Amino acid sequence: MRTLPFFLVCLAVAAAVFVLARLVGNDYVFFAGYVVLQYIVLATAWNILGGYTGYVNFGSAAFFALGAYTSVFLHKFYPLPIPVLIVVGAIISGIVGLGMGYLTLRLRGAFFAIATLALAVVLQTLVTNWSYVGGARGAYVIRPNEIEPIGPYIQYLFLLMLALAVIALTVARGIERSWLGLGFAAIRDDELAAEASGVPTLRLKLVATAISGALMGVAGAPFPYYIGYLQPTSAFALDYAVNSIAMPMIGGTTSWIGPLIGAILLGTLQQVATVTISSSVNLLIVGLLIVDCVIIAPNGILGLIQGKRTAREIVTDPAVFALLFVVNVIPIYFLHQEALAARPLEIIFWAVLVFLALARGRIIGLSWLWALPVGGAAISVVPGPFWLWLLSALTLAICLGCGLLMRPPAPATRSGTP
Amino acid sequence: MTALLEVDNVSKRFGGFVALDGIALSVTAGERVGLIGPNGSGKSTLVNCICGTLTNEMGSVRFEGVTMNGLSAHERTRRGLARSFQLPRPFASLSVAENMRVPLLYTVNARPGAHLSASAIEARCAELLTLVGLAEKAKQLPRDLTQVEMRKLELARALAAEPKLLIADESMAGLSNTEVADIVALLIRLNERGITIIMIEHIMRAVMSFSQRLVVLVSGKKIADGAPDAVIRDPEVERAYLGQ
Repeated sequence: MRTLPFFLVCLAVAAAVFVLARLVGNDYVFFAGYVVLQYIVLATAWNILGGYTGYVNFGSAAFFALGAYTSVFLHKFYPLPIPVLIVVGAIISGIVGLGMGYLTLRLRGAFFAIATLALAVVLQTLVTNWSYVGGARGAYVIRPNEIEPIGPYIQYLFLLMLALAVIALTVARGIERSWLGLGFAAIRDDELAAEASGVPTLRLKLVATAISGALMGVAGAPFPYYIGYLQPTSAFALDYAVNSIAMPMIGGTTSWIGPLIGAILLGTLQQVATVTISSSVNLLIVGLLIVDCVIIAPNGILGLIQGKRTAREIVTDPAVFALLFVVNVIPIYFLHQEALAARPLEIIFWAVLVFLALARGRIIGLSWLWALPVGGAAISVVPGPFWLWLLSALTLAICLGCGLLMRPPAPATRSGTP
Repeated sequence: MTALLEVDNVSKRFGGFVALDGIALSVTAGERVGLIGPNGSGKSTLVNCICGTLTNEMGSVRFEGVTMNGLSAHERTRRGLARSFQLPRPFASLSVAENMRVPLLYTVNARPGAHLSASAIEARCAELLTLVGLAEKAKQLPRDLTQVEMRKLELARALAAEPKLLIADESMAGLSNTEVADIVALLIRLNERGITIIMIEHIMRAVMSFSQRLVVLVSGKKIADGAPDAVIRDPEVERAYLGQ
């Protein structure tokens, strides 16, 4: 599919999302959806530099905050409509990205990552000490309650972020399929060989940082209007840096779909977890899910789908099986105590358990092993006395025991004389 | 004939170690030059200095009469100076065909006046891969190739840049006799099409059958330069290779 049809399809999907969100008839959907969309833009932006050219940027929060504080500055200086602020934010972040790239792109690997982290610290210090944009106290950005023709202002913000997500995805996909994407991939694989093949590596890396930085700034520009009160610690929050790395990693870094999948999955999960369960368990859930992803799908979900590494290999070692199994039982225990609201989250971990049992069962020749966690899940749903809960735990224990202790059947010995 | 490549008094140090010591070398257009020397004698360093992967502290490299000092590696490639690496360095996440597209898009298409259409690029890819016998593997990833095929890919990728001068850095190490003969024949064919070639090689049979001129480096110095038969009988060369 060429870029224009893709863009139109994206727009259609976005329109459908907006209509669906309005049908729900609850403004909270827009508040939560805005954050997920914002992460789609951030993750896609990070992936242009981190995934396509292989330069890990830990400073996503800096670019995000740059976009946000550009808006705060302009809001105080001369109020402008948000789309204009977004463009200005993109330009400023893009220029800073270009400058940072020029200074740091001669560094490779960990050194580049440290330099980007340093940029975030420097910018945060500057903003904290700049009283015009609120300094350490923070700045209020009063947004109107309603906006013509759309209605509630949050819906307007949601719509803007939806449009930005479409633009970000189109840009990322366009790059991926063009000569630029090929050059980026060559840089990621072998910079020396890329140079020898005529790829102007420094120039391409600068292009990547500028585009990536600009898109991150774009994600941040409407943020002050969303949050209403912006302070340095919330704009430079670690969440942005960590999520914009974790999401593409979980989804898969070599394609535009990866960050999209990762952001929708992890972003939605974080939103659901924040609402349904206590925030500390929320962190545990997300953390454990990342552990799962790193072990089961090191090339991201895309890699798992494309079968770069077969799932069976993961659990050939009984210890790895046991570890993963236990890691996924822990959140189920905690989630179960959160009662019904946490059920949707519980399903994810049950599914991982079934998957593990299925894979391990095939190896050790117990093809029915997956039935145990399925049964456990079914029993745990039944409201009933305490011993039902214990029964569910027992099925898991049996499954774990079988997987850990049973060995693969010995290959059939050949009959006859050697 | 004019000199295509002129290396003039090039020196390179790594800390206190002198890797190249005042190398002078001139290659005429259309020539086939063999470059030999014991391990660590500075052959690859010389290639790196010529191609811009390393910068030489002293001396100059001229290509078609233009001084190349300060030009980055990709600019030199675009001017027609391509190399293959001693250890194959394929783009691991790109398919074999895509590996070929990188130099086609970034070198051939970047030259003034040249603009290959998408179908022309496809055709060039297929042609080059057929030339080195990798046409059937075009869709595979480099990790699915054997070591020999990897070396062929390395050579094909250098050729895709349509060079005037090709430097083949040990492109035959580990190959069987027939494969060595294949590659030598391929290089001679390319030479007949007008590509000047410098071959760096340890396999003497290949070097002797290929080279019109032989250059010997020992400990960063050029100790011999001339007709292959005369050079290998040079007592100094014998001493360097066999010891005394």
